[in-house]
Amino acid sequence: MLRKTCRGLFALLLLVLEWTRPGLPSPLRPICDLRVLNHFIQEARDAEVAMKSCREGCSLTEAVSVPQTTVNFEDWEKKNAMAQAQEVQTGLWLLQQALGLLRTSMTDAELNGHIDTATRNLHSITAVLRTLNFPEYTPPASTAGLEGTWSASSAAELLQVHLNFLRGKVRLLLLDAQACQQDVS
Amino acid sequence: MTCDRLVRLAPLYLMLCAAGAAGIVQGAQDFKRKASILLKEEPKNPKCFAESKKDFVCFWEEDEERAGSVDQYSFTYAYQNEKNSTCPLEVLPSAGGKKLFVCHLNRVQMFVQLDVQVQREGVQIYNRSLLIELLFLLDPPKSVTVSTTGHQGQLNVSWVPPSLKYMDDSMIYEVLYAPADSDFGQVELIQACSEMILRGLEAGTMYQVQVRVNLDGITYDGYWSAWSDPVFTETLPAELDPLVVSLTVIVSFILVLLCLAMLLSHQRFLIKKLWPVIPTPDSKFQGLFTVYGGDFQEWLGQTSGSLWLTSPFILPEECPSPLEVLSEFNLCPPLSSPPLPPKASKALTRGRNEDGVLKKGLLGRESVDGVDTVQTNGWRTPLHDDWLLDRLREFQQHPVPTSQCSLLESQDTYISLTGNKHTEGEHMEDTLEETSPLGVLFASRKTTLSESHSDLGSVQPSSGCGNLSSQSSFEYPNHAWIARDPGYTYMAVADSGVSMDYSPMSRADDIGKVVIYANDYKNDVPPHRRPFLVRQYPVDDDD
Repeated sequence: MLRKTCRGLFALLLLVLEWTRPGLPSPLRPICDLRVLNHFIQEARDAEVAMKSCREGCSLTEAVSVPQTTVNFEDWEKKNAMAQAQEVQTGLWLLQQALGLLRTSMTDAELNGHIDTATRNLHSITAVLRTLNFPEYTPPASTAGLEGTWSASSAAELLQVHLNFLRGKVRLLLLDAQACQQDVS
Repeated sequence: MTCDRLVRLAPLYLMLCAAGAAGIVQGAQDFKRKASILLKEEPKNPKCFAESKKDFVCFWEEDEERAGSVDQYSFTYAYQNEKNSTCPLEVLPSAGGKKLFVCHLNRVQMFVQLDVQVQREGVQIYNRSLLIELLFLLDPPKSVTVSTTGHQGQLNVSWVPPSLKYMDDSMIYEVLYAPADSDFGQVELIQACSEMILRGLEAGTMYQVQVRVNLDGITYDGYWSAWSDPVFTETLPAELDPLVVSLTVIVSFILVLLCLAMLLSHQRFLIKKLWPVIPTPDSKFQGLFTVYGGDFQEWLGQTSGSLWLTSPFILPEECPSPLEVLSEFNLCPPLSSPPLPPKASKALTRGRNEDGVLKKGLLGRESVDGVDTVQTNGWRTPLHDDWLLDRLREFQQHPVPTSQCSLLESQDTYISLTGNKHTEGEHMEDTLEETSPLGVLFASRKTTLSESHSDLGSVQPSSGCGNLSSQSSFEYPNHAWIARDPGYTYMAVADSGVSMDYSPMSRADDIGKVVIYANDYKNDVPPHRRPFLVRQYPVDDDD
């Protein structure tokens, strides 16, 4: 419980930094430490495990669009960084929308806590991506008709996609970020 | 021309074929080794594992007797939201008369659910949903190198991690190290690092080290790889720690100093014990060895009687007794006393027989009462005993006038013992004082003796015999025995220089019955004792 609180506070701190940034955009220090993402992944796994055990009051009212999580390393490496970032940012936005929709139909208090945590983590990841000098993402008008998306009809499927997306494409993007590569070199 | 080129390229082709065959054989061996690991680790079927980001293998095992042909089986798989695909199967022999049906997926996608089905003749036998990135079974680390670090008990282990991009920070390693001759080892875990220092090892010992790899389970997961081939390295030999050596030297030095201090503090005691001083008579015979070269007779003639008498080693029979000579020995006829010589000789004989002590000296000292022991052994002179007996017998046979008894007088000591049977020593002492000039003698030395009463019984004849003798021999040269009364007892004694207690005879008739014995010395001087101590005790007739 304490660890979750600490993680939430950390995410909140990032949000506060984002909101209170000065008028003139100053280059943010890139966050290249993947231990933060590892924490988010573990929390997403906990949410998926909890959702699998849910029987009532934990269903989506309607199908939601979720990003595709499939990663073929050869295909992934063929894409450029911008395309990768666009794909990841779109997926994060889709997950935020889907989790928000699930939150409205969730009645279980514990599962609501997991969903809130997942939502905060997605915002934090977005902030981290911003520190890595990725272009600002402009969300589309609606989720319908987007390419590279799947449809999820259950909460368990949604959280499974959420977990796989974080472990896959998000992590690959952060791991291979140019800003982090410059720091290492 | 073409044939020539073919002939030249033929060896190259053969080499390539051989290499390919070797690679295939090696690959088959590697697969079998991994398959054996999965057969132990994974309970589900089919058993699947990924060797890299591009390879994914599934297999199952069946008994050769029950297994059908490969055509009877079908392996289908489908990724999430995709259509089914079929994987071609191959059969490999396995140990224990079993077969392995193997499927190599040619298209690998991760972070997506994969559904696998195995059917035999249209009947599903196995079904499994899995994620490929969670089923890695990597090759063991290569190029494991173990070297010393320059410090005792340490070894530096390094290896080359599996070349998997994006997965380096997710790898964990186990290092197994143990002495070469031991069956039990220790395991150290390390994450995202390809180098490790082993500490706490025994010095000068051969160690074997092995490494294996796995994934951390957060993003990627899998099974522990096989152990790498063991690498043997010996640790540095034990060295003496300079601090330990210096402390040991300091402590040893301190201990040596303490021992020396103890020895020096007890130097005199140790020297006395280890090299005891051999007593020499030089101090007692002044000038005997230095002036007269050991000629005792000459020394006697040149020295005064006091020196002679002060020596504790002087034969008692030669020491003129300070005792009063009351009468001559009964060897002389005018004496009315009972014949003493025979009885004296008898007493002497008895004494000799009983104790081996013939000579007893009675010295007038106030501590005689407390003297029980007689230094008998030191004063015994067998020569003198025989001579005395002879003389006694001679006198008995041929009584000699009083004037001719000077020989005895000058050489023997005679004491008179009253016949009073009272045990009160004070009365007797008073009587003796009146009758014996010895009382005067001892009284004169009262101050000296009284102070040293505790020593009278000890071997300090110089203070006794000599003191007493110094005056008596010349003062009473020819005194005859004075017959007191029939109760007086007479005994030929020789001044041994030691005060003593002995039971005097109560009657002259009991001379022969006197038991001459030596009592224990008791350093116990009653306060009212006179200087001259002649105690009267009842005679214990031992007959």
